[in-house]
Amino acid sequence: MRDLCASAVEAALAAGASYADARALLRRNQTVATKNGRVEAVRDVESEGIGVRVLVGGAWGFASDRRLTPAGAVETARRAAAFARAAPGSHERRLAEIPPAKGTYRTPLERDPLAVPLDEKVEHCLRAEAALAHPDVKVAQAFVRAQREHKVLVSSDGADVEQELVECGAGIDALASANGSSQIRSYPSAHSGWSAQAGWEYVESLGLEREAPRVADQAAALLRADPCPAGRTTVVLDAEQLHLQLHESVGHPIELDRVYGTEAAYAGTSFLSPGDLGSLRYGSEHMNVTADSTLAGGLGTFAFDDEGVPAGRQPIVEEGVLRGFLTSRETAARLGVGVGGSMRADSWSRMPLVRMTNLSLEPGAGTLEDLIAVDDGIYMETNKSWSIDDKRLNFQFGTQIAWEIKRGRLGRMLRDATYTGITPQFWGSMDAVAGPEAWVVSGLTNCGKGQPGQTAHVSHGASPARFRDVQVGVRA
Amino acid sequence: MIDALETAERAVAAAEADAAEAVVMAERSGFARFAASEVHQPTLVEDATLSLRVVRDGKVGLAATNDVGDEGLARLARRAAESADSAPAEDSFPGLAEPLPLPAVGGYDEELAALGPDDQARLAAAAIEASPFPVYGYVTSGVTGVAVASSRGVRAEQQLTDATTVVLAAGEAVSGWAERTSWRAAELDPAAVGREAGETAARTRGARGLDPGRYAAVLERYAIGELLLYFSLDSLNGLGLLEERSYFSGRLGEQVFDSRFSIADDALDPAGLPKGFDFEGVPKRRIPLVENGVARGVVWDRETAARAGNGQVSTGHAPTPLEREWGPQALALSVAGGEAESTEELAALVGDGIFVTRLHYLGIVDPREGVITGMTRDGTFRIRNGRLAEPLVNLRFTVSVPEVLREVPGLTREPVVVNTNDFYGARYPFGVITPALATAAFNVTGTGSAPGV
Repeated sequence: MRDLCASAVEAALAAGASYADARALLRRNQTVATKNGRVEAVRDVESEGIGVRVLVGGAWGFASDRRLTPAGAVETARRAAAFARAAPGSHERRLAEIPPAKGTYRTPLERDPLAVPLDEKVEHCLRAEAALAHPDVKVAQAFVRAQREHKVLVSSDGADVEQELVECGAGIDALASANGSSQIRSYPSAHSGWSAQAGWEYVESLGLEREAPRVADQAAALLRADPCPAGRTTVVLDAEQLHLQLHESVGHPIELDRVYGTEAAYAGTSFLSPGDLGSLRYGSEHMNVTADSTLAGGLGTFAFDDEGVPAGRQPIVEEGVLRGFLTSRETAARLGVGVGGSMRADSWSRMPLVRMTNLSLEPGAGTLEDLIAVDDGIYMETNKSWSIDDKRLNFQFGTQIAWEIKRGRLGRMLRDATYTGITPQFWGSMDAVAGPEAWVVSGLTNCGKGQPGQTAHVSHGASPARFRDVQVGVRA
Repeated sequence: MIDALETAERAVAAAEADAAEAVVMAERSGFARFAASEVHQPTLVEDATLSLRVVRDGKVGLAATNDVGDEGLARLARRAAESADSAPAEDSFPGLAEPLPLPAVGGYDEELAALGPDDQARLAAAAIEASPFPVYGYVTSGVTGVAVASSRGVRAEQQLTDATTVVLAAGEAVSGWAERTSWRAAELDPAAVGREAGETAARTRGARGLDPGRYAAVLERYAIGELLLYFSLDSLNGLGLLEERSYFSGRLGEQVFDSRFSIADDALDPAGLPKGFDFEGVPKRRIPLVENGVARGVVWDRETAARAGNGQVSTGHAPTPLEREWGPQALALSVAGGEAESTEELAALVGDGIFVTRLHYLGIVDPREGVITGMTRDGTFRIRNGRLAEPLVNLRFTVSVPEVLREVPGLTREPVVVNTNDFYGARYPFGVITPALATAAFNVTGTGSAPGV
């Protein structure tokens, strides 16, 4: 693959490119899903191809082809150059200078999840799902996934990088129905479970079978629970819901390509502007957010991004003040800060975009019990629905389950819990974050962006946190 | 581009199985994506995804690849067999589809298929030049070859063309949106899209807030199309019905919406993005979903139809092999037109309310009750005295779609296809054919940012 990439870069330069990079990629993923005691899917998918990105006269061009052949690589490079030459616009682009990236990287793991026999994966799911059995649970499902991505990057700036990223994950869901209503409960999250860059040991560590009876009981109990009341109150969020809150209201707004408007027509822009760096108050003094593409097990972990920028850890928010953006070589050069390091493409057939890597809310002190030591409030667990506006200001989230907080204790269970707010005010109302003992990392695999669409795999870390004076119980 | 049917047939022949079904989705496409009036993400794709489903001793497995050479096919056959062998025997598997006559449909245009990167760039330039404001969006065109072949004798093949122009015209505190999709080159008019977006943007300066509450509303076809697509994911899906996630669970045959509202799934309509068969090779046909407000049905694939029993058969809505867990999808929704000549007439019917051009980032809050939240953007206005009045900031809404459709004062006469495809994964064009619609109840629950970038 390295030779193919090198010949593609050479062909692009010969076609007039001032810069070129080529990524060749082989990906294999497996999914096993079971539902109500039957196998819903046993799937083994491979994809391979090459993507060539060029700068011609300051304009980007990108072309991709599934054929990993010398002729395919050269033809793809020429098509990319031709497309760049045809692109309307004024086109003045500069890339931040970086030393030539050289190296190899492989996800550290104990047991290769793709070497685990499919029948073992089926059995794992069926056992977990059987433990969801409950008279009110009408749909019980379990799934596991595994993926290996072998990719090579060569660029005209001297990058020569080979990486093998391996990830796996799992989850269960219980849908309870009775008397015309339905409630769902999931573990460890509602949206394709949790994943990590790790071996099969990660899937086993999730303990799906162990957690299943609780998940089923809670799904059934939600059918009889009271609805979340409407009003303003104190809200304590579990780490999983905080992961998505962080993702939507911090991770996306700090993507510098959004700040510069390149996602305006689809995913949207950002309420942040370049001049906010170092001065904008994002949240309370308890808010410390870090982007770290070296985080062990993170889905956004690598040695080099898809532009050949080395991985690193950077502060995003320190004591509530904006300290960093996620950048590419192009946007970093435009801002005049940093060199990039967040560029990833979801396949060989897509251009790299500025994507979250592993974005985390740093822990504070104390326990979940300390957070709920308030007179009144609501504790919410596990995301159910999410929506946020195009500038990432007005958000509304729903969780699968919640409990009333009364005099420092969890009281009655509540269903259909929702909360809404405006990003800086909400983070400004955060008055406590639990400590490192409660800090957990999860990986999600459904972060959408770009046109044509791309789905990124990213991770987030957080401990539960408490927010004051939050609007809850939004109704249709 | 590869010969999709020939590739599918080779895969079936290579299968080591009692029964086998191959699906090919081949793509040649170009995207000229622009921001601030210049192309910044141009993307050319040449790909072909080949999926092979095999049945061995009653066990079902699936593998996929984009290496369609002989070695790739041999490896695919081996992996598919391993997948099947790892699963328990599946009593409820209804078997592969039988070959049936397929309807003749349009959906392919030589002139559009011939569009190349230079053309996509030229069309993007036309959209850019037509707007008085900086523009953001894309022009894309592509050819998709779809084929299904099976050991039971299914031989289905179709070439599809599609092109979409999306324009967000936006500046400081102004933004407007427009979009056009077609499978025919003659219907492409990116300049018209740029002009429409620019005209909407020009009216959004000075946007004001709005108190939360229920408002009558006119939903432009971009808005109602997306809302209906999200509603359909659970409620018009046979699997959703079986699992009681659908609003139609227990309500089939009931008057659920306004009698002015009818919706079908109609992949045969040449006004949309026509298809002749689904991903099991089952013929497409028009499926009434709601007739004059009465819930008539949902869509089915073979597996969910078999589980439903009662003689239910596939309606031709099997999803792609890699999305089977989602259940059958209604990807050719078609809303019947009404009697209003224009959205201005709908505003007159509403009298006092709001006008919504486009929605953003929808989230399903409660699938069983059809509750969806999201934001309006790029053209939200107050309606006063039956006419468009001052612009509004982006509004958060949390609506029950059944409530939105329960009282529909009117719809525009001409339904038009709206693109609802964000082009994730393999290209497969789809959209919603819909008129603009007036509703008596649209629940605004908050306000967001002003128009503009």
